[in-house]
Amino acid sequence: MGRYVSIFLTFARACLVRDMTFRANFVLECLTSMGWMSMNLAFYLLVFQFTPEIGKGTGWTREPFFAFVATGLIINSIVQALFMPSAEELTEMVRTGGLDGVLVQPLDAQFLLSMHRVDFSSFANGIVGVGLLGWALARMDHTPPAAAWLLYPLLIVCGVAILYSLVIMLAAATILLGRNQSLYDFWFYLTNFSRYPAEIYAGPWGGPLRAVCTFVIPILLVVNVPARVIAQPLEGHAWGLVALAITAAVAAIVISRLVFQTALAKYRSASS
Amino acid sequence: MRGRAIVFPYTPRMHNTNGESRPAAPVIEVEGLAKSYRVFDKPEGLVASVKSLFHRSSRVVEALKGVSLTVGRGDFVALLGPNGAGKTTFLKLLSGIITPTQGTARVLGHVPWERADDFRRRFALVMGQRNQLWWDLPAAESFRLHREIYRIEPARFERTRDELVDLLGVKKLVLQPVRDLSLGERMKLELVAALLHEPEVLFLDEPTIGLDVVAQHALHRFLAHIQAERQMTIVLTTHYMKDVAALCRRAIVITDGSILYDGSLDQIVDRFTTHKIVTLDLDDTPAADEFARLGFPCEIRGPQVTLRIDRQRIADVLPEILRGRQVRDVSVEDVPLEEIVAQLFRSGAGQAPRMQEARA
Amino acid sequence: MSRAAASLFPGLRAWWTMLVISLEERLAYRGDFILGTAMRFLPIVTQVFLWTAVFAATTRSDIAGYSRTDIVAYYLLTMVTRAFSSMPGLAGGIARSVRDGSIKKYLVQPVDYVSFLLAARIAHKLVYYAIAIIPFAAVFFVCRGYFPPVPDAATIAAFVVSLMLSFLLGFFMEATLGMLGFWFLEVSSIIFAYMLVQYLLSGHMFPLDMLAAIPTGLAGVSVADLVRWLPFEYTAYFPAAVWLGKIRGADLVRSLLIEAAWVAVMALACRIAWWRGTRRYSAFGG
Repeated sequence: MGRYVSIFLTFARACLVRDMTFRANFVLECLTSMGWMSMNLAFYLLVFQFTPEIGKGTGWTREPFFAFVATGLIINSIVQALFMPSAEELTEMVRTGGLDGVLVQPLDAQFLLSMHRVDFSSFANGIVGVGLLGWALARMDHTPPAAAWLLYPLLIVCGVAILYSLVIMLAAATILLGRNQSLYDFWFYLTNFSRYPAEIYAGPWGGPLRAVCTFVIPILLVVNVPARVIAQPLEGHAWGLVALAITAAVAAIVISRLVFQTALAKYRSASS
Repeated sequence: MRGRAIVFPYTPRMHNTNGESRPAAPVIEVEGLAKSYRVFDKPEGLVASVKSLFHRSSRVVEALKGVSLTVGRGDFVALLGPNGAGKTTFLKLLSGIITPTQGTARVLGHVPWERADDFRRRFALVMGQRNQLWWDLPAAESFRLHREIYRIEPARFERTRDELVDLLGVKKLVLQPVRDLSLGERMKLELVAALLHEPEVLFLDEPTIGLDVVAQHALHRFLAHIQAERQMTIVLTTHYMKDVAALCRRAIVITDGSILYDGSLDQIVDRFTTHKIVTLDLDDTPAADEFARLGFPCEIRGPQVTLRIDRQRIADVLPEILRGRQVRDVSVEDVPLEEIVAQLFRSGAGQAPRMQEARA
Repeated sequence: MSRAAASLFPGLRAWWTMLVISLEERLAYRGDFILGTAMRFLPIVTQVFLWTAVFAATTRSDIAGYSRTDIVAYYLLTMVTRAFSSMPGLAGGIARSVRDGSIKKYLVQPVDYVSFLLAARIAHKLVYYAIAIIPFAAVFFVCRGYFPPVPDAATIAAFVVSLMLSFLLGFFMEATLGMLGFWFLEVSSIIFAYMLVQYLLSGHMFPLDMLAAIPTGLAGVSVADLVRWLPFEYTAYFPAAVWLGKIRGADLVRSLLIEAAWVAVMALACRIAWWRGTRRYSAFGG
């Protein structure tokens, strides 16, 4: 285990050195992601000009909603920084046969393929998210209880775990199918659903969609549960959601690993 | 029904200090190994493209058809064959990268495609033109990473590393990012990385491809040295005769997924070619029938004349050809390997490979 | 006259070949394509749910003149506009070919680079939407309940004109951006800034009428009034608003004129950038 940590740190250090060498580019990338984020924040501020709450009686008034957005920023920045860079490179690795080199090494392939590259500029959004969270919590009427403060980091980890499992499933599909560009577009569209509180998915179409995205592909648990825990009263079915999120995270990790191992067993390898 | 492969019985033997030989446990045992897979046809033209939306035709490609062989400890074996023969597929099966459709194999007692960590720690794979080093890191960092991944003891690691770096003369290169280096330099660093954990078996896939003559020669010397020194079992695939001639006594010829010949190298040329190729560079283009009277197959291309002369008769015929003629240059060469192999194919394998047309 | 006609036919033939190759390419990635086209509608689904939730919590019946059903229709119509005006890879492609020198062959050949690019884009879009029209039509049919009654002929005509203009506007804006590659090595940051502003001000995210609620420092002038004079809203918002009848009469005519003016300005800018850029490029030996 310690071996894996020290190997990861070597990779991370190499990426950091490289980012610092191309400093201007690094700053630009930070500004890029923050740029998109600020556009979205401006949009949300605009929306709240017209309504006091997102969804009737959901509790997502302005400050809690921004706490929600902040939670999303934090979780997504962790995934974007730690796992997406390696996953994006996977298509190329499969195409050039670099994956072969990974398979002959006495190291867990899933670890190598999902964590050998770190994109530090993606942390910028997360840092802004933390700031935004602070602002929202300060202005909120509701004060989170002690339990919420303990659960929040744990649920952030669960959210990251669920998203990580999705990344691994996509990686497995890439290994099995070779090149497949729309698979990564798929990622964008999938995570798009988790940008807003689950309560907006109501009605004859929304209800089933919400159920599928909570119990089958649990993306709605990723941001919703930690956000709810910190920004809304912690009672009743919120506890159920907490249990669900933790279970889903564990199940997701296990299932995605099985799928990934299967994909490796069936690996075709590019012809020489 | 396939033609029989021409196999010379080759049992690896170890010689103990008395000079007696006894059979050693083979390092690599392969029995009936086969690999085939389904390839989808790419549509050509507009109509086919539209049709491909609804169904795609495919065919089954047999990359490897039932290969069996044995390799003993310390053997240096070359897998010879044209492109697409199945050499790389075979190597990938032996290193556990892909799983076979049929057959068994054991390397160092392990089944390769189970990818046990114990197994992976004991062998190394180097593929020509494909990098296993991390591109962004300088080679020195890659080596350190390697040490951690393979759990090499630090003192031993440093000793091995320094030794290899010296041998290959790459001391100045290890601190530069790998992406900045030339192909030859990268290959040397790949070799260092591959040997850091002192593997018992080394697989090399077309290692000299893309290298210039000097680099190829250096590579040959290096491989010969470490093989002798460490009694490493080495399997090398190539389509260059030079690699084989320089390094191994035993050559295995593969074409179309089957072994056609497995035995000593000298015997291939001797046994399967009856003639040599004599090339003459003349001052002017000769007349078409000038060489015809000799009775040998002859090709005239401008001032260059190529003759195929029986081995036994070269000593007699050559002086006769050269006498009384202005010749700028003359060379006497063995029939190229590709030709020998193609000949082997014709004489040994018999019929064309099977391919099945299937609808998706 | 006949020489012009003679040169037209090889041009047409070349264009037809481009069309066919585009189509083959498109079909080659069939799995990608069918899935990808359908998935483009997914973000709209999320936006629609969001606005539904917004309406649920407020007592207003409309926001900036848009009812809940209007908003759905609006987003679907912006998809149509963006089908015309979005130029994926145009600016980056031009900048890249300047950077790696492949632009040289266009300097030497008797082919006008800008016209070539325009023709290629038309071919590409025709092909893409000839096939993509199936999922588009399916979605519109399913959502037909959200649309107000079909507008009158004049409005439809204005809509079509605005779409054609938005295609040209999008093309010339991105082409000019790409031409900046003659002066700047890293155009990608400029392109990115453009994308960002476009994202906010084109109406892609929300109907720009909502900006009327935001005042500027000046009396009686809202942000929406200012944005009207910029070219961005014509790449997504404007045609959609025309179809929905949000802009009428004199306002409509004025906006169409502004749009046409911007097309002329950007076409000119593109031409000037090409002319001066190639001069500069040749001066530096390429």
